[in-house]
Amino acid sequence: MKEAKEWVKEQKVSVEEILFDDLYERARERGVERVRQAVDEGIVREVATVSEADCIMEIFSYPVARMIVASVESEYLVRRYALAEAKKAYESMKGEESGFIDYLAREMGVEVNGNEIYFTDYLKYAPTWDINWKLVNREMRKGYVLLSKSEVARLIQEAIRKKIYNELAFAFAPPEVKKVFKDEILSIKNKVIFKEEKRKVGEVKEEGFPPCIKNLIAAVKSGINVPHVGRFTLVTFLNAVGMDIEEILKIFASSPDFNAEKTRYQIEHITGRISGTVYATPKCDTIRTWGLCYPDEYCRNIRHPLFYYRRRARK
Amino acid sequence: MSFLRRKFYSYYLNPHIEFPQRFDRREYAFILFNEDTMHRHLSFSSRNDILSYLKMNIPAHAYYSSAYYRHPSAEKMMDKEWMGADLIFDLDADHLPNAGNLSYEESLKEVKEELKKLLSFLTEDFGFGERDIKLYFSGGRGYHCHVCNEKVLELGSQERREIVDYITARGLDMKKVIGEKNLPAEKFSGKFSIKTIKINPMQGGWQGRIARAIIDFFKRIKNMRREDAIKELVKIEGIGEKTAMAIYDALTDERMRRIEVGLLDQSTEFRKIAKPLVRRLAVSLHSEADEPVTADIKRLIRLPGSLHGKTGLRVTGIDRRRIDDFDPLTDAVVFGENPVKVNVLKKMEITMMENHFKIEKGEARLPEYLAVFLVARGFAEVRPP
Repeated sequence: MKEAKEWVKEQKVSVEEILFDDLYERARERGVERVRQAVDEGIVREVATVSEADCIMEIFSYPVARMIVASVESEYLVRRYALAEAKKAYESMKGEESGFIDYLAREMGVEVNGNEIYFTDYLKYAPTWDINWKLVNREMRKGYVLLSKSEVARLIQEAIRKKIYNELAFAFAPPEVKKVFKDEILSIKNKVIFKEEKRKVGEVKEEGFPPCIKNLIAAVKSGINVPHVGRFTLVTFLNAVGMDIEEILKIFASSPDFNAEKTRYQIEHITGRISGTVYATPKCDTIRTWGLCYPDEYCRNIRHPLFYYRRRARK
Repeated sequence: MSFLRRKFYSYYLNPHIEFPQRFDRREYAFILFNEDTMHRHLSFSSRNDILSYLKMNIPAHAYYSSAYYRHPSAEKMMDKEWMGADLIFDLDADHLPNAGNLSYEESLKEVKEELKKLLSFLTEDFGFGERDIKLYFSGGRGYHCHVCNEKVLELGSQERREIVDYITARGLDMKKVIGEKNLPAEKFSGKFSIKTIKINPMQGGWQGRIARAIIDFFKRIKNMRREDAIKELVKIEGIGEKTAMAIYDALTDERMRRIEVGLLDQSTEFRKIAKPLVRRLAVSLHSEADEPVTADIKRLIRLPGSLHGKTGLRVTGIDRRRIDDFDPLTDAVVFGENPVKVNVLKKMEITMMENHFKIEKGEARLPEYLAVFLVARGFAEVRPP
């Protein structure tokens, strides 16, 4: 990536040329396609590059796509696009030799040593709220965490996603971009708005929540630092009863170490938007062993917080 | 001026302060004698300014922030602009499960054992070098461990909590640690497969730690007399006398050989042993609220070289290779032996500066170092001269 950036610079091609010159027609088309794929499929597909010209167009399509994303001015799109590009990188890592993964890792500033990764980088990019990714359950020696090849690729995917997101979150595209891609930007904007709307669902009856969940909400809202497992329980529950990400995010906003982007990523992971796995709400037994259970009179004979809610919310 | 304050003044005329790295980026905070409030949001641009503050104000407690700030003296956290923080471990006797029943000296000894465990995690698993880790006696009831390393500076509190969870074994997945496998049947055992747990003492991380602990445990049991071994085994929760006897009698030389290469049969019993071993290996590090202080990226810690107002002892650095030799009631003492007349409020026994004291209630003449300690702890008074 960095190399491609350097290469683009060396070509001394101006933004005007990319936007207007016939020579770059193919790069512009592919740029639009990248964004479309991100919106529609959640991943940017790889294209077969046969000739050197194909390669060049593929490389130039990337800055084009970024300019389009920046012009749409939607935080949702920035997130979705960053993830889609990161997934593309993950797919390309899967088929490659480990040399390529090492190379990408270095580009991202991640300290990788074969299948080992330095723990601070691991902590930055691993979904540690998942028990399998918790550091304590990992083999670590002298600061390096031992991973499988695909796990290394997974962490680099996250590093790439974060990097693209951070670059685009506050980026402005040159005003000409809006003119050149006027129709495309409009149609992408509409799609994005539609997608965002669709995720908002029916009303949630908070008074029917079980006491453990109410406690967690109160703790989070009053700024008490809630442990991982508590946050995890809360998110899985709120997701199961139909709250959307924005609403869940709002609850977490008063947490002392609130980080909107990171919290959103965690929520999206737990709720299956990113990982494809929707994590189940833990059952009462589990919540009890975590020390988060404060039963009330309705908790008798209830073995799962969602049963409690279903029973109480119906009334 | 009160006795204690006078003594602190005499120390702060020429103290041995160990200034934190990038001391001008830190926030400082002090509690003065006879005051409850903390003077916060102070910053100093030179080491001499810190020394003159100490001399002028004679604080009972002196702290600095584990965090670096762009504007350390800003009143609001937001305006300070956090730049990073050292990783701090606070091992305090109050966090021990049996804290209430121990004397001051005993509890400090127990905390030292926790400190040694912590150190082994930090060096072996996390790979921190000698230069990254600094150890201090807190002056009070515990030890502090500071990790100053470029890589950990920028870690947020969620990431720091993962480190705490690692060394306290919180969230450890036992299934993963002692993987259970059905091994193919061996020749002599016919057509049935045997349930075997395979552990690997050569592994890193918790897997290896537990494997080594299990193997050591069985070696120890094997070398014990039968009744002693059974006594030791029934101490483990969930193991009765019958099971204990069965385990001991099954520890043949052949089985020991298997265990030493990490093959454990009879899965359930071994599982029962693994759990309490985890508790012994993990560091006890949680504060009363069960919230690990290490995860806090804005906390205040005692300034090394300052005095602790509740003991009169100095926050003192410890050489890593000499942890066992460190005696807080000798090595952290800064005052001399001149006799001081005190009124003792509580009968007690204590060893300080390698002298054993049996102190009765009432008037006594004690060496200055002991007088300071007792007055600071509220066990004695000095009448104004």
